[in-house]
Amino acid sequence: MSKRKSIARTSAIKTLLFITAIFFLGRIFDPYNQGQLAVVLMLFIAVLSITLLTGSSGQISLGQGALMAVGGYAMALLVLNAGLDLWLGVLLSIVASSLAGLFLGIAAARLSGPYLAGTTLVVALAIPTLANRFESVLAGDLGLIIDFGATPAWVTEIFGELGYEQWQLYFVLPFAGLALFLALNIFGSRIGRSWRALRDHEIAASLMGIESSKTRILVFVVSSGFAGLAGALYGLRGIVGPSVYPVSLSLTLLTAAILGGIRSIGGAFIGSVLVVFLPDWIESLTGGFELSPQISDYLPAVVSGILLIATVVINPAGVAGGLAHKKHH
Amino acid sequence: MDLFLSALFSGFARGSLYALVALGLVLVWRGAGIINFAQMGQAMFSTYIASTLIMNGQSYWVAFFIALISGALLGALVDLIVMRPLSRKRRSEALNSPSMRATIPVIASLGILGLLQALAGMFWAGEERGFQTPVANEGLTIASRVMPFTLFDIFIISIVAVVLLLTTVFFTKTGMGLAMRASALNQEVARLSGIRTSTVRTLSWAISGIASSLAGLLITPTSNLSPNTLDLALIIGFTAAVVGGLDSLPGSVLGGFIVGLVISFVTFYRSPEDVFLAILALLLLVLILRPSGLLGSKEVRRV
Repeated sequence: MSKRKSIARTSAIKTLLFITAIFFLGRIFDPYNQGQLAVVLMLFIAVLSITLLTGSSGQISLGQGALMAVGGYAMALLVLNAGLDLWLGVLLSIVASSLAGLFLGIAAARLSGPYLAGTTLVVALAIPTLANRFESVLAGDLGLIIDFGATPAWVTEIFGELGYEQWQLYFVLPFAGLALFLALNIFGSRIGRSWRALRDHEIAASLMGIESSKTRILVFVVSSGFAGLAGALYGLRGIVGPSVYPVSLSLTLLTAAILGGIRSIGGAFIGSVLVVFLPDWIESLTGGFELSPQISDYLPAVVSGILLIATVVINPAGVAGGLAHKKHH
Repeated sequence: MDLFLSALFSGFARGSLYALVALGLVLVWRGAGIINFAQMGQAMFSTYIASTLIMNGQSYWVAFFIALISGALLGALVDLIVMRPLSRKRRSEALNSPSMRATIPVIASLGILGLLQALAGMFWAGEERGFQTPVANEGLTIASRVMPFTLFDIFIISIVAVVLLLTTVFFTKTGMGLAMRASALNQEVARLSGIRTSTVRTLSWAISGIASSLAGLLITPTSNLSPNTLDLALIIGFTAAVVGGLDSLPGSVLGGFIVGLVISFVTFYRSPEDVFLAILALLLLVLILRPSGLLGSKEVRRV
């Protein structure tokens, strides 16, 4: 009992430190970087869904982008059609995507490795086409328009006048904190250990009383909840449509998870920072050269592709894994 | 009736292309235990090479064969630069469990796909361009009646038939083919009987590269060429491979035709937009009812 409490306490402390740090960064950054930081937080939540799914339970999904889309559409429909408040819409989107994850998990429980990867990739391609199939409700390729609105009065009273990007950042922050807190708890608790046991040795795990298919489905549900939350927040930037959640989004998330370190929560954050800010860094590095737009447009994708391959071949544990390795010696 | 015949013929033509894609996937899966999600990225790259050669005045057939060779080279390079070093990294903390050893190569192949697509965008700009066919791609007219198929359809079906025949001969009659089958069956035993299993593995990547480049050359005339156009072919080819059985070469051909016909009939009788959902339904159906595929061996999970 006391151990469980101490995990909850350290998780809470870490989360508070995280929220405080981001809060102050939001005060220092210019509006452009505030917006970028908000995207980092959204992706962080989505990458956590991969850290939980792949890093801790050894399953792979190339469909996390599609689950984000489920969360985004659920939020948009609740806000636009049912007239719900944005906060409530975002929270309920977690339920919708967890349900989608339940179905996916039931189908996926008996699959592993490449089978799972391929099937989830097909899901990732099939789900966005639903937007055109049910065009009257889901608005087809154009997507649903979400009005993020102005900063509410009570926020301005506490924090003073906030810019648009700043308010977006601070709106996302509590959700990122919630996701971080939950992920830290899962990692440290019995549940997380049973997931890892399943990843490392399925037979041994089932001998210890872990029901493998139930656990796999649970992992999918939890991970999808994270992805859906991230997707709902991602949609708050203005549009919820197929072009906002392309298949390449799933690849971006995997890249972030691997670069940062697939097994570490800190790694998920490092990876998200890397993929969001990489184009900016490359631009500032190559700013002095006269690159044709054809080259500069694709340079970030080339660099992140090379980084991903190099990480996998040289140090599969990623940045965070490399740091942990040094600490051991 | 005409609609039915059109769907049937188009299904066979498409099906033979998906059979090629599936064949490429199955070759690497048997040889290396990896599903190569970069496969159609490699095909896209070599098709771009062919397209550039044709634009610079080379004949179609010169470009065609250079594309096949570059497909083979790309396949071998993927193995030598990424997959072989990766298979030696088993002691890394992130690779110490079977599930992660199955997962990490998938991610590596996705990285290669992303890299190839970005490079293609950089070299050849992102916009779509057409790609020519070696023969006419219009409804064939026989005795002043327009047939429900084109000369290009016939060309596709016959060239794929030739390739499948060559592959069968290669795997049943040549020493190298037998060595590949032996290593697919059991790496350890194959190595003990003097087969260089790592060379064999690189060879399966190269042959897979040829098959998928051929598919790329024959698919792009109808879909146009852009860095992303062949993504769909990969998904369909994967479904075909799973339907037929991931470890069965004849299965990949059967799966290709089944998927081709399903897609064709859905396109002709319903709408092209339903194709994705049809593929997903077919894939899930097979995975639930018969996870090892129609012709695959029972053991599904390779550890």
